[in-house]
Amino acid sequence: MSKLFYDHLIVLTQVEAEIKKTAETPEEKEELWKLVDEIIHHRVMEKVLDKLPRAHHEDFLTRFHEAPHDESLIGYLTQQVGENVEELIRREIGELAYELIKELRRK
Amino acid sequence: MSGKLPTQTYQDINDTKVPFDYLRNKLKVKHLETKKRFYDKHPHVEEFMAQRSLDLGKIREHSAKVLGAGAMTGSLLFSPVQAVKSLPPPHEIIAKLQTQSLSIPPEVPQETLVDTMTKVLPAKTRPLTREEEKYLERLFESILRVPARATLEGEHLNTTYGLIGAEQHLRRYPGDTISAHGEGTVLKEGMAPGLGAWGYFASSRSALSPQLEETERWYAVVQTLYLPDWNTRQPHLKNWYKYRKVLIVNTKNGQAVVGAISDSGPAAWTGKHFGGSPEVMMHLGGERYKKGQVLIFFVDDPGNKVPLGPVEYNKVGLPESFLFQV
Repeated sequence: MSKLFYDHLIVLTQVEAEIKKTAETPEEKEELWKLVDEIIHHRVMEKVLDKLPRAHHEDFLTRFHEAPHDESLIGYLTQQVGENVEELIRREIGELAYELIKELRRK
Repeated sequence: MSGKLPTQTYQDINDTKVPFDYLRNKLKVKHLETKKRFYDKHPHVEEFMAQRSLDLGKIREHSAKVLGAGAMTGSLLFSPVQAVKSLPPPHEIIAKLQTQSLSIPPEVPQETLVDTMTKVLPAKTRPLTREEEKYLERLFESILRVPARATLEGEHLNTTYGLIGAEQHLRRYPGDTISAHGEGTVLKEGMAPGLGAWGYFASSRSALSPQLEETERWYAVVQTLYLPDWNTRQPHLKNWYKYRKVLIVNTKNGQAVVGAISDSGPAAWTGKHFGGSPEVMMHLGGERYKKGQVLIFFVDDPGNKVPLGPVEYNKVGLPESFLFQV
């Protein structure tokens, strides 16, 4: 199973449509999907760690390493950060979607 | 001749389609920038990852391994299977159904199926435990009369319970057009710009057999690209999954279809786990059905006797063998 604790917050429908229009082979499509996927992981982790106090980083990374799929990590982060982390991630994904679409659409 | 001046021919450039190399380069640059910024800000994370031979970019593969190991040892971190334990075994449900069918009005098998699935399944999609899957296999075999298996010949999808999304028609042969795919509302989705994971279904229109035509009509999409062993067990896995029959059941209304796997996807970041052809989606939920919860199990059909398409189990009633069981 390939699942991450923030998967339910990611919906990049327009980016998907752009990729589908462009990729002519399944290999091309999967290559682009993976690039987007990797960008998402780094952006989400950056946002989370920016907000999380440095003293909790090691603990969070250990939990994430042991169970990257575990949605209770959202609850853990919300508690440590003191903000609605689900909303923070959702907003970050929204910004990323905007950036990607802006870059991918040739004027 | 378009009648345009040479200085105006740029207007003919198709601005709706971006070249692949352009898109890939843009994404690669964005990827490198994002990664660099992240590790510049949080260098200790790089160290943490390196100590565990982990790459954040490959975190899905790591997740697949963690979950795979959990499933093997029966220690999945998901909610317990109390719902399955408290339910009667499938043959008792069928017996009840059969008894009721002798009285008037009879309970429709579809209602029983939906009712039972509602009790067994969690509200939110997640990978099911082996126990839950075994229960559903028996339920499907009893009510739908389709030999469905979550694990077939050692193969198992990353999840059997997930969200399905609407896909477009696939090009079956070079020169295929949307108008050749039937008529009516199923044409509204249009044709996918690229090919399915196994390329064209046939080399030409004349080489397209009725069986292949049915395969495209009832095609399903599953995330083979995220299987933990997808890259290491080739070409076996690619051949194994090609046109593999799957039973797709809408868990909300009990509509069921036997489809054939013909493409890989959708991307994990679409929020969906499976895809269905316009015909599959139409049967599962009607014209406006674009996304919904489904169960997908392999069809155990070595003799190729289970036809592709809708499973009309309400019309056929229950198997006679169950009369004896009752």
